Amino acid sequence: MHVVGVAGVAALQVATIAVGGLVLVGLMRKVRARVEGRVGAPIVQPLRDVRKLLRKERLRPQFSTWIFPLAPVVLVATVCVAALMTPLITSRPALGAGSDLFVVVYLLLLGSAMIALAGLDTGTAFGGMGSSRALTIGALAEPALLVTILALSISAHSSNFPAIIRATLADPGVIVSPARLFALAALLIVIVAESGRLPVDNPATHLELTMIHEAMILEYSGPDLALVTLGEAMRLALLLGVFVNLMLPWGIASSTSIARVALGTLVLCAKVATVAGALSFVEVFIAKLRLFRLPELLAGAFVLALLGAVSGVVAK
Amino acid sequence: MNHSAFTSVLGLGCGVIVLCAVVTLWRRSLRAIVRALAVQGVALALVAMTLGLHGHDRVLEVVAVLVLLAKGVVVPSLITRVVRHDVASRETQPLVNVPASLVAAGVLIFLAFAASRSVTALASNATGRLIPYGLAAMLIGFFALATRRKAVSQIVGLLLVDNGIALVAFLATAGVPLIVELGASLDVLLIVVVLQVLATQMRLRLGSFDLDQLAELHD
Amino acid sequence: MLWVILLVPVLCAVPSGLVAWRRAIGWLGVASASIVLAVGIVLAVNVVRGHAAVGYGGVLRADALSAFMVIVIGVIALLATLQGVRYLEAEIAAGRCSPRHASLYAVLIQGFLATMLLAVLAANLGVMWVAIEATTIVTTFLVGHRNTRGSLEASWKYIVICSVGIALAFLGTVLVYLAAQHVAGQGAGALDWTSLVARSHHLDPGVMRLAFALIVLGFGTKVGLAPMHSWLPDAHSQAPAPVSALMSGVLLTVAFYAILRFKVIADGALGPQFARTLLVIVGLLSLVVAASLLLSQRDYKRMLAYHSVEHMGLIALGAAAGSTLAIAAVLLHILGHGIAKGVLFLASGEILLVEGTSEIKDVPALLSRRPVLGGIFAFGLVALLGFPPFSLFVSELNMLRAEFRVGLGWAAGLSLICMAVIFGAVMSHGREMLFGPKGTDTPAVTPALVAVPLIAGLAACAFIGVSVWPLGSLLRAAAHVVAL
Repeated sequence: MHVVGVAGVAALQVATIAVGGLVLVGLMRKVRARVEGRVGAPIVQPLRDVRKLLRKERLRPQFSTWIFPLAPVVLVATVCVAALMTPLITSRPALGAGSDLFVVVYLLLLGSAMIALAGLDTGTAFGGMGSSRALTIGALAEPALLVTILALSISAHSSNFPAIIRATLADPGVIVSPARLFALAALLIVIVAESGRLPVDNPATHLELTMIHEAMILEYSGPDLALVTLGEAMRLALLLGVFVNLMLPWGIASSTSIARVALGTLVLCAKVATVAGALSFVEVFIAKLRLFRLPELLAGAFVLALLGAVSGVVAK
Repeated sequence: MNHSAFTSVLGLGCGVIVLCAVVTLWRRSLRAIVRALAVQGVALALVAMTLGLHGHDRVLEVVAVLVLLAKGVVVPSLITRVVRHDVASRETQPLVNVPASLVAAGVLIFLAFAASRSVTALASNATGRLIPYGLAAMLIGFFALATRRKAVSQIVGLLLVDNGIALVAFLATAGVPLIVELGASLDVLLIVVVLQVLATQMRLRLGSFDLDQLAELHD
Repeated sequence: MLWVILLVPVLCAVPSGLVAWRRAIGWLGVASASIVLAVGIVLAVNVVRGHAAVGYGGVLRADALSAFMVIVIGVIALLATLQGVRYLEAEIAAGRCSPRHASLYAVLIQGFLATMLLAVLAANLGVMWVAIEATTIVTTFLVGHRNTRGSLEASWKYIVICSVGIALAFLGTVLVYLAAQHVAGQGAGALDWTSLVARSHHLDPGVMRLAFALIVLGFGTKVGLAPMHSWLPDAHSQAPAPVSALMSGVLLTVAFYAILRFKVIADGALGPQFARTLLVIVGLLSLVVAASLLLSQRDYKRMLAYHSVEHMGLIALGAAAGSTLAIAAVLLHILGHGIAKGVLFLASGEILLVEGTSEIKDVPALLSRRPVLGGIFAFGLVALLGFPPFSLFVSELNMLRAEFRVGLGWAAGLSLICMAVIFGAVMSHGREMLFGPKGTDTPAVTPALVAVPLIAGLAACAFIGVSVWPLGSLLRAAAHVVAL
């Protein structure tokens, strides 16, 4: 019973992330459309897009190798494993023993690294340009990410993700401590950078010279593109889930009882939807930064994270 | 005010003060920098008021109101008046570029924590441990003062140094005696007035606020 | 009686502020300086006889050191205000200054005097800091009085660098207050100098170390010690001559007075070695910087400003030695340097006025073309270089003797080398200015209003050099306040 319960909750978590991720992307587009004064596509449109793409023909560039079809699979696989590790619905995820913040984050980065390699693999100019830009952003964001995780781990004395959540639940005052606030601010900037949202990258752009992420996946079509879209959506949902659970961990299920799990799912969806909606709302009012200004933004995130780490040490 | 709320508010205030110092290195628009300075003044007043309420120190509460008015309202508005005339209004090419400045700010924050060991040992309670924040803000202000090209940015750097030292004074000694505090606030105000007059002169005579234009006197 | 000293300049400032410039306002300024000097002498006499004056509920206190500094301020203020009359009249006549602007100058000079007097008479370290910060603010406008591009740049640099220094000094004062609170309790009384000195052995050494280092850095900026000296040449060369005389002659030493007051506390808490090391470092650095930069000077006012850096370095070395002889020599040097530098700056102001340029190469043959003025300038340079019979010879000699006795012989040797370099540089610049082809013009006459006070100042300097008689007991008493 216990094993079935844990497995069931794990499957529910992955499914929520998968379906919920696509719905999340649709929600963000809808919020943006509404604020801009348009009606916008229905919220479930990304689900329909994925279903449509699965039926289309798969094309591959002429000189691409085995990396090209493998990358989307690796992307989705890593996100699923990370979803199994992260305490989203339940505070005891399936692979909870090894659930370290570092591991979760680097799994996600592995997926995006594969996509970047695939972009290089296409042999086209746009793929190469997009990949190099994306890897630059990743490299710039990494110090900030590392120090953020350090800052978040200081108060709980460990970087084990469920341990951090349990420590936060035990001492709610830590939510408004400067350490946590600075670290979360830095984390938000890094999430925006990693998932390719404004002001780092415009997900809706069609101008090749301003594409970063879109340029990498320009050559994908059919089921490959479906997998990439799914993987990207899941990654965004997972990152936002991590963020909200670090910020406000209440509502997480601590056992496998149906009521608790259902409540946990609902609360998670609500929290993530709120944050995503807010992000989308803000995005309407900001413009994409020039590529040369990105180091400034990410260096600022680094200093914020550093402030958070230092505050955490002081507060102990 | 119970103790944990007291320490949280203090910690938050000190964090915001250092954050505003970092923002002055981060943002390029002069108006944003002045706004960060205003927020810092308000945070400083908040810290002073919290300390005063917790320690039942009437003098400190009065000083907090004084700081709010002087550093949160009057000084930023004086500087905004200067900025309003500056058409370009952006710090376009500081001596050290923005990402490097931000990394330097990180290093300075570390330095501040390392250098204030003896002081935190002497004032060893919750407030004493926050003294390095004041030193960090002061060091970041020095850095801004030394590496910025615009007159307004140098003024802001000077005021950051002042705010950092004021924070150290509040945390370490619950403020300095009232007469000294009055003198210090008055001096800050007068310095800003003087700088405003000089900056206006600079604009009238040289046409811009670029300190590069002032390079006649040298050996 | 102490409040009289402070009130006099303030009262004299009031009519200057109300009416536009006329000659009477200039003489009012002279009167205020003379009253300050007279009261200072009375104060000194009282203090030497044993009655230290206290006023205003303990905020003001005059011990021997303060009385001496009041005399220094009074003497140089008298010289400067006398010249101020001439300076302002000439500026208004040349159209470079409006009468309103001139009365602003008069008000600011009186404010300058009042804040300096407050600084030396303050019993409370916090009040002393406030006064010194106030001097910075007042003098910024005075430095920029001439309204040229150069003076704008000089006053900007001056206020930015000195404000940073003053902020550091404030942090040092706060740290001293922190240490004092653990010993003396809260409130303004904790910063009272006399009680701090009495309890200095109980102050926390770690905090005091940091505090004194900040004080030397911070107030040292106002003294013009290297490496914080970069504002000095610009400010002192661009300011009007009387202001330069006051700043170079007095303000630098008032800031050093503040360092001396803190040194007594630091010596009590840490032992003499820490302060000695710090002061030796900045002193030697100032000497080296001054020596290396004096050779290449092209402007005689900048040359005099760098010369001030050298003398501040010498004073710092003397204070580092710390014995009674050393401190007495330092104080004598403060007076002698103040008078001589003041006379030189005022003379150079007159040269600038009549020649119109401040470049050394453009004012040759001063001794032949303007004998009295050239003579005053020559004797002033001779005085500053430390020749007998001027008092700087006596004070430098005794400072060197004291340094050798205390074990700072190596520092004294290095300072002698730097002084030799500076000697050569100043002599060569002076030769360029004073000697040269005579030309056919008849020698110009310098007005008595200009010449007489300057000659009197140099004569006083020589008199003190020959016999320290009027000041001997005062110097001894003042040195005892500070010495180890």
